[in-house]
Amino acid sequence: MHEAAPVLAVEARGVVFSYGARRALDGFTLAVPKGSLFGLLGPNGSGKSTFLSLVAEMRAPSEGALRVLGEAPRAALRRRVGVVSQESSLDPLMTPREVLVLFGRLYGLSRDEARARADRLLTAVGLAGRAADRIDTLSGGMRRRLEAARALLHEPELLVLDEPTTGIDAAEREAFWKLVRDARDRGTTVLFATNDLAEADAVCELAAFVRDGRVLAAGTPSELKRGLRSETVVVGWADPTDGELEAVRRLPETGDVVQDGDTVRVSTDDASILVPKLFALAGRRITSVQIHPTTLADAYFAHVGGRVREREGVI
Amino acid sequence: MGAAAALALRDLRAVVRSRSQLYSSMLTPLLILLFLGTGVSHGLQPSNLPAGNFTAYLVAGVVVMTSVFSSTFSSASYYRDRDTGMLRALLVTPHHPRVIVLGKSLAGVAIGSLQAMAVLGLAAPFTELGWQYGYARGVLLALGVVVALNLLLGGLAQALATRIQTMQGFHLVMNLALFPLLFFSGAFFPIRDLPLWLEGLALANPLTYAVDALHVAVYARDSSEFLGLWIDVPVIGTLAAAAYALGLARMPRPTWSGR
Repeated sequence: MHEAAPVLAVEARGVVFSYGARRALDGFTLAVPKGSLFGLLGPNGSGKSTFLSLVAEMRAPSEGALRVLGEAPRAALRRRVGVVSQESSLDPLMTPREVLVLFGRLYGLSRDEARARADRLLTAVGLAGRAADRIDTLSGGMRRRLEAARALLHEPELLVLDEPTTGIDAAEREAFWKLVRDARDRGTTVLFATNDLAEADAVCELAAFVRDGRVLAAGTPSELKRGLRSETVVVGWADPTDGELEAVRRLPETGDVVQDGDTVRVSTDDASILVPKLFALAGRRITSVQIHPTTLADAYFAHVGGRVREREGVI
Repeated sequence: MGAAAALALRDLRAVVRSRSQLYSSMLTPLLILLFLGTGVSHGLQPSNLPAGNFTAYLVAGVVVMTSVFSSTFSSASYYRDRDTGMLRALLVTPHHPRVIVLGKSLAGVAIGSLQAMAVLGLAAPFTELGWQYGYARGVLLALGVVVALNLLLGGLAQALATRIQTMQGFHLVMNLALFPLLFFSGAFFPIRDLPLWLEGLALANPLTYAVDALHVAVYARDSSEFLGLWIDVPVIGTLAAAAYALGLARMPRPTWSGR
């Protein structure tokens, strides 16, 4: 009887993991389909990186079940996983080519194969001209691309990326995500964590909102936005009263209303009708108005509440 | 083993590129040999030395000192890998952490042994070494002792590096532990004429047996004034195996987001 290939690259059910007395994952449940580009979104300290570390290092949770590529975590599975961690992990005294050849050898490639793949990948990531330069002479974006090349060198089935574009500019981000999408197009599953909701909106095919060590919601971006209105009005509003906010909620064109200090986010299907009514309610206490199509960020705030934004570093 | 060899090669390449590390481990011992050896030979005329010449007597000590310096410097590679995140990347490869540590420590042993033998090679033409077993056998004996000594020191350095958080703290502990050991190892003066309590301490000192074996191999014209290889080799061999096993016993585990 031929066993069917697993359709999930990563499956977690009720995973619990603690650092001493602090519980970092508390019933974390997630299903990442094979071949998907899956983003974990959440504030700092929500448990995203802890979950990725279990997957990347093949560590068993203290409670619950975790399966990676259809199997329980074990060291040999690392051969099928590529990793880019949150912090840089390159020896500044080596050259890009040396790094790739070394890791090719560590992933079991012959010397010739490691060299051939290193050269091919250096060309693919635009670093062929810097192959023999020391890494401490490369820009942050170049180093990130090199780390992506290192993670892809052994043609992994699963690519784990932990906030991979932190600290690099927009052009380098685009170049980085192109590499990742190309890998996904070749069949690699990509699981990444970020707290940059705008980036996630542009990149994710599937996403999960994570907070306090749990997944609050998961699905495609459109599924996560379902139930929200088509536009979001972000209003700078000095000292809104509870009565005023309740009045806004009662307006027929209003969806969710979330207050975050002097900022009020109102979802609506027609901002052109809503905004004059807001001015009628609050007058000069409205200091700014921004109208934008509903994004993953709006879905995130609708799920996790409005007060996390500034307090916990979600941007 | 291929993975450990690839890692060892990478660390060797790094040391060759870092000229300061390459030369600094050898320079201080050579300067001590030059100035202390010449100064004491001419100024004090030590009469208690087995073969009479203090500069030649110092050669074994500076070879051991070179290994001590080298093992301390080699540990910098562990801290650099940890602090740059390279260790984290190595630990998510399919290999057991022990293979990673083995590769790095083998490089340290190779570097320390090469530097110590280079110091011997530089000193030998200018000092009156006895070579009681002849040059070839003397050099081979010295090489065996030096490799065992570097396994001992490398294992000790690795064991400390995985336990001590900062490189400054590591260097402090290494200096506090190893340099006093050098002083009563027979590196700078014979231990047989020391007060009994200090001679006892010297006999409990692992470096004593490395210095003694090197004296027998390259300095002495006969072994009668020394502990002898039949004591030195088992002691240094056993301690080297134990220390190296200790160095491999504790696995590094840097956290995902940093140290």
